[in-house]
Amino acid sequence: MTDIMTALALTVLGPLSVGLLLGVDRKLTARMQNRVGPPILQPFYDLIKLFGKERRADNQAQISYAAACLLLQMVAFIIFATGGDLLVAFFVSGAGNLALALGAFSSRSAFGQIGGQRELLQVLAYEPVLFLVIFMLGWWNGSFLSDSYSDNLLGVMILVLVAMMPVVLIVMQKSPFDIATAHQEIVSGVYVEYSGTYLGILELAHWFELAFIFAVMTLFYNDDDVVLSIAIKVAIVLAFVFFAILIDNSSARLTRWDMIKLTLLIGIGLVSVNMAAIWLHTEGVF
Amino acid sequence: MRRDAATRSPWILHFDTGSCNGCDLEVWALLTPRYDVERFGMVNKANPKHADILLITGPVTRKAEERLVNLYNQTPEPKLVIACGDCASNGVPFFDCYNVCGGVDKVIPVDMYVPGCSCRPEAIMDAVVKGIELWKRKAQEERS
Ligand code: SF4
Repeated sequence: MTDIMTALALTVLGPLSVGLLLGVDRKLTARMQNRVGPPILQPFYDLIKLFGKERRADNQAQISYAAACLLLQMVAFIIFATGGDLLVAFFVSGAGNLALALGAFSSRSAFGQIGGQRELLQVLAYEPVLFLVIFMLGWWNGSFLSDSYSDNLLGVMILVLVAMMPVVLIVMQKSPFDIATAHQEIVSGVYVEYSGTYLGILELAHWFELAFIFAVMTLFYNDDDVVLSIAIKVAIVLAFVFFAILIDNSSARLTRWDMIKLTLLIGIGLVSVNMAAIWLHTEGVF
Repeated sequence: MRRDAATRSPWILHFDTGSCNGCDLEVWALLTPRYDVERFGMVNKANPKHADILLITGPVTRKAEERLVNLYNQTPEPKLVIACGDCASNGVPFFDCYNVCGGVDKVIPVDMYVPGCSCRPEAIMDAVVKGIELWKRKAQEERS
């Protein structure tokens, strides 16, 4: 197990750096559209504002689901940060997404209902891919414990890492996969009936969820040199975020069925090709 | 810090209560690269539950009256209402029409009026930036 101070630092730094990353994302998006864009700290301003607003909810269940969502996503990331089992973290994070969908279902709003259903479809699309990626990591490493990784996997498993691209697009709510929160169609779907503090809670939960996804991607590179190791880990995440922004700005939203087909096809396809290559290599074919 | 952060993140709901679309176009112009209101943290949320500032355009028609009240009630405090354009401010030139209530302030409390037919995007931006001061005070009053 990782020592307690490192775990604590990771738990705090994880969501904080996601907030910063989302700020960079908004700035870059604006620059790509020839705009000045908001300050880098904008996501933090938004979050603090939301927590200062009036507390109002449709019903009690909505509040419980929001709290459950935050708690589960937090636990998922803490499991990772404390060197725990990746698979457990994966399932806990998945349960957090379920709580988000249930929260949307708990109100009578039509947009909320559609948002909830789409959230479940998104889970259906990306969770198998994420599961396969984690499975491959564990298979190669011989353990699912997040602090047991010490190899450089970029060489052997580059395609598995690339398979994370649609997952990142979906979780970052980026076009062409921003299905559950489609702003123009269903005015942010799952979040539509939340306001003020409770919306803030869900936003924070989203940061923790993203932190877990990015954390899984950082496992692909490890080196004895700590500085180099951290630099390349950060570079991997930044590269993914940059490509997500590029794709977001140059593509239109797909239908939900296209999302499922494309995500599963790209994800499972790339992981299988990578797996076949590793097998052929161990068999001595090349 | 909380108050300071709040004023850097005004989320907007734009509602057309029967405008000729002249003012609407100017509100939408705010989002274009030329005016780019996102640099002040403003985002058009199209959802009253997420909004902080209501930008209302047009004289309030009888049909829109109930909806406007509904949207106003759904917006969590502290909130700000800005009437954009002459129509929204006092109903001109439709003020005595049989199907019009008049300005927005006949239906819900208004904090700021932006004159002009149609109102210029610069003027709306000015109103929002000035309105933020008012919003700060509102938030303070609410806490005390
Ligand atoms: S103020 Fe002028 S431009 Fe604006 S809605 Fe009224 S008539 Fe149209």
